[in-house]
Amino acid sequence: MRTLARQINILDYALSSLWRRRLKNASVLVVFTAVIFLVASFQMVTDALTGTAQEVLVNAPQITLQRMSAGRQVNIPLAYAGKLGAIYGISNIVPRVWGYYFDELTGANLTIMGLDTSRMPMGDQLRLTLAEGTFPAAGSRGSVVLGQAVRDMVRARGSQLLSLFRNDLSMASYQVAGVFSRATDILTRDLVVMSIADARDLFRIPPGQATDLCIYVANPTEIGTIARKIADLLPDTRVVTRPQILKTYRVVFGWRSGFGSICLLTALTAFVILAWDKASGLSLEEKREIAILKVLGWQTADILAVRFWESLLVSGLAFLLGVTLAYVHVVFLDGVLFRPVMVGWSVIFPPFHLAPAMNAQVFFLIFCLSVLPYLAATVIPAWHTATVRADSALSGA
Amino acid sequence: MIIECRDLKKTYTADGQTVRAVDNVNLSVARGDFVIILGHSGSGKTTLLSMIGGLTTPDSGEVLVNGIENWHQSDARLTEMRNQTIGFIFQFASLIPTLTALENILLPLSFGNRKAATRREARDILAQVGLKDRENAFPAQLSGGQQRRIAIARAFINEPAIILADEPTGDLDEDTEQEILSVFHEYHRQGTTFIVVTHNVHLAESQENPRILHMRKGVLSERNPARSQAA
Ligand SMILES: Nc1ncnc2c1ncn2[C@@H]1O[C@H](COP(=O)(O)OP(=O)(O)OP(=O)(O)O)[C@@H](O)[C@H]1O
Ligand SMILES: [Mg+2]
Repeated sequence: MRTLARQINILDYALSSLWRRRLKNASVLVVFTAVIFLVASFQMVTDALTGTAQEVLVNAPQITLQRMSAGRQVNIPLAYAGKLGAIYGISNIVPRVWGYYFDELTGANLTIMGLDTSRMPMGDQLRLTLAEGTFPAAGSRGSVVLGQAVRDMVRARGSQLLSLFRNDLSMASYQVAGVFSRATDILTRDLVVMSIADARDLFRIPPGQATDLCIYVANPTEIGTIARKIADLLPDTRVVTRPQILKTYRVVFGWRSGFGSICLLTALTAFVILAWDKASGLSLEEKREIAILKVLGWQTADILAVRFWESLLVSGLAFLLGVTLAYVHVVFLDGVLFRPVMVGWSVIFPPFHLAPAMNAQVFFLIFCLSVLPYLAATVIPAWHTATVRADSALSGA
Repeated sequence: MIIECRDLKKTYTADGQTVRAVDNVNLSVARGDFVIILGHSGSGKTTLLSMIGGLTTPDSGEVLVNGIENWHQSDARLTEMRNQTIGFIFQFASLIPTLTALENILLPLSFGNRKAATRREARDILAQVGLKDRENAFPAQLSGGQQRRIAIARAFINEPAIILADEPTGDLDEDTEQEILSVFHEYHRQGTTFIVVTHNVHLAESQENPRILHMRKGVLSERNPARSQAA
């Protein structure tokens, strides 16, 4: 009881002591909060991006086969699939029709994807990516699944149907069967998924052709070997493997986040050095105050405890504020401040919503890199109090 | 004896000059004594008080407070002794400028011991030194004499057995001085032991049966031949 009352009284004293120097402490709090906010936001944006990308790519085909002509991608005949029958290890070949659709009315660019879900190995799991509705049954026609942005577009028109124009300006309308979840925004925001037959109809692609072929492999370790065999067998094709795509993602993310982390760590270090500098030298005024307290019978431990609580209150509050602001920034404001850094992507991806990545490890790391050094930087120099001579308070100086 | 000094010595060296601040002082103070120390500036009075209070370490000799040698105990114990047993009135300004008058007075209370009751006591003491209505004033808003009175009030808050006072009436006018002296008188009557360094002749007259000592170049001598300073 006594020790508890003691700590409460020390806390009380620390609080009023902080309040007495409120201007100085407020400025430390603001800077500290800003640094933690930046580091935490950045870390959360990076995590959200990598997390989302990896999650979505898990469902991507292991090998994508495209036909090239004069350096451009052209439609691939379904007959190519037959030529691959000889390669051992291929479990499934699924044609895919996709393309871009420019909506003149809104100026939006949509990605149209025609899938044959019945033939995709994970086809029945696609519904897991939906926020509402269902995936149209395999083979059914006239219904689509939309990304969030496309759904908003349809809603804004006050319509229940998505209407698109074919090349000959005839109109095709589709029922909205489902909407992708916001968590997959990074890849689905501008996406319209329909049956492969509908996509062929929209883009006027003949029945014997597709945009590319998705090749599924039974044993992931053979992806490289199989890809090489395909390339040998069909010299006019481009073979893209999932590991290659993942690697590209990692390189880009890794570089960006690595660069960002270094910048922010530098900021953090500078702050800690500043805090150290500020805290390590006791001012004459502080020395005199400590000497007076010692004459009055304050234990060195009491003086340190007050210091400790003061720093803990300032840095703890800054940590909570910074992390909360970062959360609001990333989750509700989609990380607007970091767009310019993180999203050279906008070429590849339209504006996207970030799935919140609440990673306890990250917070712990930020805590260790901010609150702990600050505590150390303010409390350790306070050990100087032990060296302040009490009798120095007796002289008038 | 509540305080015993034996062969106490302290020399300072500054600019190649050696100063014998306190030179072989022997002093015994009984519980309830009112000791007045007179002496010229630089004669070692503050240094002596500082050693009695356990703030300055002597070069040689010992100081016993309540029978315990100051430097034969841990630093924490010594600090605790100072907190519980001694009230210190500084020669110079000693208030913490960022604390109010009342908060300054509450400072010596240990953190384990801050009750609402002690706040009331603090206000009582503030009233005794005539500053009842200034408890929320900051030192900068108080006159030198008022600040000194706050510092005096602070020395009494823990009801110490010993008051060590260094020029307590230095910058007080006669009326205020009289008030403070009657506070001293009251505490002395209740059994508090005083060692007071002063130039003030009124101080000796105002107390009952004071012991008057003289300090000259670090050497202490008792003026009243009827009472011996030797242990
Ligand atoms: N920290 C110190 N370093 C060097 N010399 C010191 C120190 N403290 C005191 N002295 C010297 O010791 C001597 C005694 O000083 P002290 O402060 O005890 O005198 P005092 O009797 O209190 O004087 P006053 O009446 O002016 O306050 C002086 O000559 C002073 O210069
Ligand atoms: Mg002096």
